[in-house]
Amino acid sequence: MRLIQSKQNPPQEKHQNQAVFALLLIAVIVVISVIFNAVSGGKFLDGTNVKIIISHIVWPTFVAWGFCFLFACGYTDLSVGAILVLGSFATTILGSWLGYPGVILGGLIVGILLTFLNFNIFAFTKIPSWIAGISLAMIYEAVAVFFKVNKTTETLIYTEMSKSLRYLGNLPWSVIILAVGLLIAYIIYNKTTVGLNIRALGGNKDVAKALGINITKTLLMVGLICGLFIGIAAIIQQSIAGRTLVKTGLTSINMVFQPLAIVLLAQVLQKRLNIIIAVPLCSIIIFAIFNLMTIMGVPSGTLQEAFLGAFLIAFGIIGQRGYKGVVK
Amino acid sequence: MNTDKMLEIIGLNKYFGPTHANKNLSFSVKKGEIKGLIGENGSGKSTLISQIAGLYSSDSGQMLLDGKPYSPGSPIDANNRGISIVMQELGVIGSLPAGVNVFLGRTKQFTKNGVVSLKALNKAAAEQFEKWDLPKVPLSKLTDGMMIETRKIIELARALSVDPRLLLLDEITQSLSMNNRNKLYELINKLKAMGRSVIVITHDVEELIRITDTITVLRDGEVVGDVVSAETTPDEIKHMMVGREISGDYYRADTTPEYADKVVLSVRDLTVPGEIENVSFDVHESEILGFCGLSDSGIHSVGKAVYGLIKPSGGSIHLKSKDLMIKSASKALRNNMAYVPKDRDNEALMIRASIHDNFVLPSLTELQGKVGYLSPAKLKKMAQDMTDKLSVKCTDIYQTIDALSGGNKQKVNLGRWLAKDIKLLILDCPTRGVDVGVKAYIYFLMKEAKNNGVATILISDELTEVLGMSDRLIVMKDGTVADVIRRDEDFTEQSVIRVMI
Repeated sequence: MRLIQSKQNPPQEKHQNQAVFALLLIAVIVVISVIFNAVSGGKFLDGTNVKIIISHIVWPTFVAWGFCFLFACGYTDLSVGAILVLGSFATTILGSWLGYPGVILGGLIVGILLTFLNFNIFAFTKIPSWIAGISLAMIYEAVAVFFKVNKTTETLIYTEMSKSLRYLGNLPWSVIILAVGLLIAYIIYNKTTVGLNIRALGGNKDVAKALGINITKTLLMVGLICGLFIGIAAIIQQSIAGRTLVKTGLTSINMVFQPLAIVLLAQVLQKRLNIIIAVPLCSIIIFAIFNLMTIMGVPSGTLQEAFLGAFLIAFGIIGQRGYKGVVK
Repeated sequence: MNTDKMLEIIGLNKYFGPTHANKNLSFSVKKGEIKGLIGENGSGKSTLISQIAGLYSSDSGQMLLDGKPYSPGSPIDANNRGISIVMQELGVIGSLPAGVNVFLGRTKQFTKNGVVSLKALNKAAAEQFEKWDLPKVPLSKLTDGMMIETRKIIELARALSVDPRLLLLDEITQSLSMNNRNKLYELINKLKAMGRSVIVITHDVEELIRITDTITVLRDGEVVGDVVSAETTPDEIKHMMVGREISGDYYRADTTPEYADKVVLSVRDLTVPGEIENVSFDVHESEILGFCGLSDSGIHSVGKAVYGLIKPSGGSIHLKSKDLMIKSASKALRNNMAYVPKDRDNEALMIRASIHDNFVLPSLTELQGKVGYLSPAKLKKMAQDMTDKLSVKCTDIYQTIDALSGGNKQKVNLGRWLAKDIKLLILDCPTRGVDVGVKAYIYFLMKEAKNNGVATILISDELTEVLGMSDRLIVMKDGTVADVIRRDEDFTEQSVIRVMI
């Protein structure tokens, strides 16, 4: 009797394929970088410029990892940008009181608490998460405005962090944090019961429930994990930029546009490469493109974003080629 | 207390809102007994075994396991007591690998310092496939895109991985092709030999009588019969199920192929890499052309490729009646072709939408007015007429599809195409998971379509079905056409099996 799709040692084969694909992607990034360098007259691979690119991919990568967990369980949260803003404020305020412990605690406490709160709301109210997320974003933005200037007539506010507290945004610290983040995200997503349960929840809630997975507990765990990554992102973001600007009226959503683009790109690649590993590589690709466009004088806010959108669509089309996705 | 009884159910009741799904049910399963459970769609079989498996709680009544009160709070609780289930429609998690699916919800046993060892998990999963002699599957591959049969085998491995003393199988044989069905029978015998018990639900009455020791018949949530399998007949079971006589011969009674000379569809050298190779055939007006084969024969891919759902690497699909080539599903639909897939919940029906929406959607072009306006009254009438004509059991036409039983879902699935002016109908396992009454009705609809000149491609894992309904039968093996047998030739199971194997 013939066996259905039998293979010898498939796990090893899978890991080898993933490693080959990751190396291939890195090689492509190197080749593209050389081309970019030639196009920009040697400015792209200039040491300072490379440092800028590396520094700037760290916080969006952390947000993107947070999104990986969020999307894996089948939820959407548009208040992440507002949480980042509040987290950044908290790092500055607690940092000015307590030094580096305050910087770290500020981001982590706000990130974890607010995302956890969001998931409590999603889990217990049953309001669709994208609707609840928008409402929460408006509340958090208003809190940020009130918290900082205590008057709602002020529409554009920011907070500045002391230079002596911003080393976590500098190399090599930010890259070390990125490497640790990659390890933690990879293990949680792929090698823990909660990671598998989160993915099961997004795959089919009814099956997950029937297999004894506690849906509410899993959702709340997503809040904690996602909050951890957003909290770290807030710390790094504030350490690099030194200030965070916010207006009311859902402008905080702008902050998550690039992380969303990164996750989208990583999702396209995930058939061949684990999404957690794909995220930082996609961050490099996207920021390299933005950086080149800036060097080339392409105006940001209009053409840069339009180009990124077109790039994502093209990448998506290429990524879907040969995908059957049918149930026979 | 009879200690020979493994599970005893006494006066079990279950309500879903105003619906009294199970009414005072009582029956028992002995150690080493293979118990069959049968009844019409909606008779309460799945609800009952869901209660046993800890998926549903009971509103009243009692269950005793080994003479002690048994009231599982969850499926894991049931697993811990040695009871596991393979559900008809539950499935696996597509975004997770097959190996993880086997132990999902129980991954802690492979966890050390918070980290799950996927190597150990896959090894344990492979051991389960080995132990129970199940067809192997690539354990590290995501289950998304796997065949429905492969996914069922993964679910079976999951149920067996708890080393069950009582295994509950809810209509899984109809998802399996003949070779894997035989494997399942062997497995059931093995469990029996080990002193384990099995409750099997299937709509195939002959199969149920063949593989079980005793059969309990349900009707409208009540036990209406409890018989020894060796002492009963299919007709007796059917009579108990529906409360009236049902003809045992609901297939075609004629023995000669009857169809027009006019070719409706001509397929030449159709090739889908890894699935089918150089498949050629013609389908004629009023013909039912059957396709059968083992699990890897490619019969299901033929239906998808002909309808334009998967892109072939070579060959042609010529719709002769319109003199055009079919290259996409939308083109097929626009030109009076229809396709009813095997996996109705995932591929055919809008499961969260209403009966009304599911009926009207394929016919919107025909229903719209001159300026494209869709009259709500007209849509409602169409949906209501079809619901009445097909006797869909529902509260009203606005009830969501996911609340219907398998058979009633299939009535909607098939009926919405028959409401249109269809010239070519592709049916992939149209009677999967439906009871004998609905089966008979589907065969009646197929015969009616044939009489109206509709050409039908009938793909089925049920040999009796294709033999019973087809004018000609294409037997496939390893993705190629192995033989074509006419109704007036050696049209028997034995001759077909000889070609298949």
